[in-house]
Amino acid sequence: MISISSLTVSRDGKKVLSEFSQEIPGKSATLLSGPNGAGKTSLISAIAGTLKPTHGEIAISGKNPYQSTPLDLARCRSVAPQRRIFTLAYTVGEVVNFVPKSLRIGDPERIYSALGLDELWSKKVTELSIGQQQRVSLGLALNQNSDFYLLDEPFDAQDSHFQHEILELISDLKKTKGVLVVSHNTDALHPYFDQEIVLT
Amino acid sequence: MMGRKFGIPFLLLLVTIGLFILSLQFGIIHLHSSVLSLIGKGGSVDAATVWDVRFPRALGAVVIGAAMAIAGALAQGIFRNPLAEPTLIGLSSGATLGTIVGIATGFAGYGSAGNCITATLGVAIAALISRILAPNKNFGFLLTGIALASILTSVSGLIISVSHQAGIQSLSFWNFGSLSLINFSTVRVITPFIFAGVLLAFFLSKRLNAWSLGESSAYFLGINLSRFRLMAILAIALLIGPSVSAVGSIAFLGLLVPHVVRLIIGPDHRNLFLLSGLLGSIVLLVADFLARTAFQPHEIPLGLLTSLIGAPVLIILLRSRRAQWVSEQ
Repeated sequence: MISISSLTVSRDGKKVLSEFSQEIPGKSATLLSGPNGAGKTSLISAIAGTLKPTHGEIAISGKNPYQSTPLDLARCRSVAPQRRIFTLAYTVGEVVNFVPKSLRIGDPERIYSALGLDELWSKKVTELSIGQQQRVSLGLALNQNSDFYLLDEPFDAQDSHFQHEILELISDLKKTKGVLVVSHNTDALHPYFDQEIVLT
Repeated sequence: MMGRKFGIPFLLLLVTIGLFILSLQFGIIHLHSSVLSLIGKGGSVDAATVWDVRFPRALGAVVIGAAMAIAGALAQGIFRNPLAEPTLIGLSSGATLGTIVGIATGFAGYGSAGNCITATLGVAIAALISRILAPNKNFGFLLTGIALASILTSVSGLIISVSHQAGIQSLSFWNFGSLSLINFSTVRVITPFIFAGVLLAFFLSKRLNAWSLGESSAYFLGINLSRFRLMAILAIALLIGPSVSAVGSIAFLGLLVPHVVRLIIGPDHRNLFLLSGLLGSIVLLVADFLARTAFQPHEIPLGLLTSLIGAPVLIILLRSRRAQWVSEQ
């Protein structure tokens, strides 16, 4: 479970979230939606431990992300950010294994084939399209064994085939883990999620 | 791919050994017999030339070449910048200043362990200053490093000019980079420091791969950012400080070798360190061989040589589309 109480978050001196409280249950899929600039990514970052709130409390599996060691935190949450920048020509297989051995899930093959990464396995990430890179980034996040998965706009650059595959992965994942997904385009997604948080 | 992974290091190792033997055999003094026939023998002029002069020098080239190349690869990785090389970003100048201060104050003479320590500290302090002053991680970071290098070099020059310490003037030759001062005791003193730096670099190599995706991605994967950065800077300092204290700063070696290696075997840092170490040894053996023999009977500072060759290669590399580094912007 993620519990957030009276959270205030500022970005570049501007208040993006104010006195926000919410409980996000584990073993379920939660959709986080709202218009551009509503603070979806800021909320994800605050939970992930990269945007320190000015006020309020966050706990993931009982742990405060700003008082835990990075390794402990990595066991509580895995993050697929909106964009990852690939500067060096690693292969897809190398990138998804950037997860330290002690943090990896046992059986990533199903995830890799759903994301089409098995076919890209020895390609250089720097030579992939944006959509393919995004799937590599997602594969990396899902290879990490955590209580919660924070996925920021995972459908963004995907065609309908991969959107569907990712939704299937989320449905599978939520049987054992908590999943929080940011998306601005939610109409078709509702059947796959247990609850929705709308930021305004 | 497996063949490549083992074949290339093996090939480079053979080349290193071959060049090592060649640099024992050839030099300004002509040997009357083959170096292989001198193994285990002393007493003659030939044996003294080989074992007291050329052998420590070649050994120094191997150790320091590897250290500088691995330090370059590590600096590019930790600063996530293809141009972050210890001589360009002021770290080598920190080592120079550390060395000069050690000698000028009489605290630690050339080639002593104390001098390795002052040089190592010099690198660490320069890295810290550059981190505090740099406005951002990319362009500003490089320009800050260049400014810092220039300040630290000037201060070193000033200290050399005003110091009364005996023999310090001879360091201006060393300042261009030269293996001519190196002897057995220097090699013995610097090697443990460099070995520690190499071990630390390999210890960090896996996490450096994740680090390439940016600090937040590294943090998501459980890496303690400030501790990791500190360990990397310590490794760079252990590699560069003692090297510079022994032979002065040698430009471009640490910049170019990792780029060439990435083109051959890809960016994985463990392979990168292994091959950069071997190729760095090879480059420094060749450069020192040329520095000793190309303008006989004069010896030229090999730092001048690496700059003369390295700078044009850098320009070619910058213009090449194959450079394995995509801009972050």
